[in-house]
Amino acid sequence: MSALLRLERASLRYGQILGLSPTSFELPEGGGITGLLGPNGSGKSTLIQMVSGLLPPSSGTVEVFGQAPFRNPAVLSRIGLVPEGDRFPTGLKARRWLRMMGELSGLQGPALEAALEETLALVGMEHRADLPFAAMSKGMRQRIRLAQALMHRPELLILDEPFNGLDPEARLTLMDLLRRLAAGSTRVLVSSHILSEVAQLTDRILLLFRGRLLAEGSVPEIRELLDRHPVELRLVAESAQAVARWAVEHGELVALRLEESGAVLAVRNPRSFLPKLQDAAARGELPLRALDPIDLNLDAVFQYLTKDHA
Amino acid sequence: MSPALTPPTPLQTLAAVVKGYLPRTLQPRGWILAALAVVPVLLALGLQAVVMHFEGTSASFGLQLFHQVTVRLVLPILALVAAPGGIREDLEQRTLPLLLVRPAAVWAYPMAKGLPWYAWGAFWLVLSTLGLPALGADAAGLGRLALALALAFWAQLAVATALGLFFKRGILWGALWFFAWDPLVRIFPGNLQRFTFLHYIESLAGSRGGSVTPSQILAQEQITTPFLLAALALIAIGLAAWALSGWRLHRTPIGLAGAEAEG
Repeated sequence: MSALLRLERASLRYGQILGLSPTSFELPEGGGITGLLGPNGSGKSTLIQMVSGLLPPSSGTVEVFGQAPFRNPAVLSRIGLVPEGDRFPTGLKARRWLRMMGELSGLQGPALEAALEETLALVGMEHRADLPFAAMSKGMRQRIRLAQALMHRPELLILDEPFNGLDPEARLTLMDLLRRLAAGSTRVLVSSHILSEVAQLTDRILLLFRGRLLAEGSVPEIRELLDRHPVELRLVAESAQAVARWAVEHGELVALRLEESGAVLAVRNPRSFLPKLQDAAARGELPLRALDPIDLNLDAVFQYLTKDHA
Repeated sequence: MSPALTPPTPLQTLAAVVKGYLPRTLQPRGWILAALAVVPVLLALGLQAVVMHFEGTSASFGLQLFHQVTVRLVLPILALVAAPGGIREDLEQRTLPLLLVRPAAVWAYPMAKGLPWYAWGAFWLVLSTLGLPALGADAAGLGRLALALALAFWAQLAVATALGLFFKRGILWGALWFFAWDPLVRIFPGNLQRFTFLHYIESLAGSRGGSVTPSQILAQEQITTPFLLAALALIAIGLAAWALSGWRLHRTPIGLAGAEAEG
């Protein structure tokens, strides 16, 4: 299968600052969702800007549909970009603005009007598209931002942190829409700094940290990688010694620190350790009052992975 | 998934952007432009009415108003107020990437975003000249005055837009050009006048409006450019400035943070 997107040692510098180290990967043609995962400042937006043709690489090559995307109409007509942030031109109404975006994407006449109405219905904004942007809620503006990227039915849809600021219902609606698009042969590239968000969506993850592509693989593969990272758990218990006695019997334990109100355990493979802990507490073997995961956030995982790769 | 669409032609790009952004002219910046263009003439008409009421005579200062106020102050201020409402606005509001990821002709955007402002500003400028005959200006020469304003606004708006894309403080450079270089160059040798907007405006309008008096000993003798050539010069300056803006936008990478394009 030929590549829809190919990066060959592509890097990007902002003056003296390296936004993305030389990175190589490919996405195959056809539908599906690929997650771009990484903490803030990891280079996700930089990568997205290169792929969507906003910025040319400082070195290496970026090819989308076999061509460089920067200022290339043949490529840009097949891409849709939903950028991060809540920016719209002041003083305009959504329908007129979307119509203009459709025309600038090559739609005209009845096809333009049909695409406009169809897309507004798809994002659930058909009855509120005549509002000015200033009168819309954040969620409504997010839908319009999505609509402008979908109007011309792109083969590659790129979304930069699309779930930021969305309420849970809007988040689920958006995920459902992305799944439907991906099932219909649109390749979706979605960035996020939250693993669970990406894990709910994607069959493939690219893991970025500090401008480097750290790992690439399926969600189970990435989860396997993350399982190697020792996670710290604070167990609040009536007897710290009892917790310690129980914990040392398990192979996942890496480190143990006693505190006044309990113990801090560093464990590998928390997915196998946590059920054991739960069972022990349920059977009364552990006088457990509370469980507090200290560093299950992505930053900690990325820091671990970086050390691991160094 | 539909088959890939044919990218819009530059003309389609122009038309789409003009239509899309036209409502912006009917918002505060647009009404400020309208007021700037007509208020000086309306004030002069009011003053005229007061003078007539009390003294029974009417002053004849229509041409002076045109040359000293409209051409030297109103016109450049209009250009400097309108230009930031064009492509510079998208750059500052970080909405430009949404246009740049389209398969349209990027070089056409500056002109396309400037055209609604040009049409709106030129309309009010031309309208303002209708009050000049009541202030003593020759009604037969009204067409020349209106044309001079319309063409000069075209050129000045384009230049101000280009400066806004080339420099972070484009408005400041525009102000220096319009308010320092243009008036001051009159004390330099004659042919330098051809590098000012005032020269072409005066060539089109037909006179310097009695602005040179014997007391201005440093003022050079006015040189003139034939009417048609002056009109073509202003059109060409405008086109060149729009083209330069388009070239600048096309070749400058502008990311979501926007800063790459500034200055």
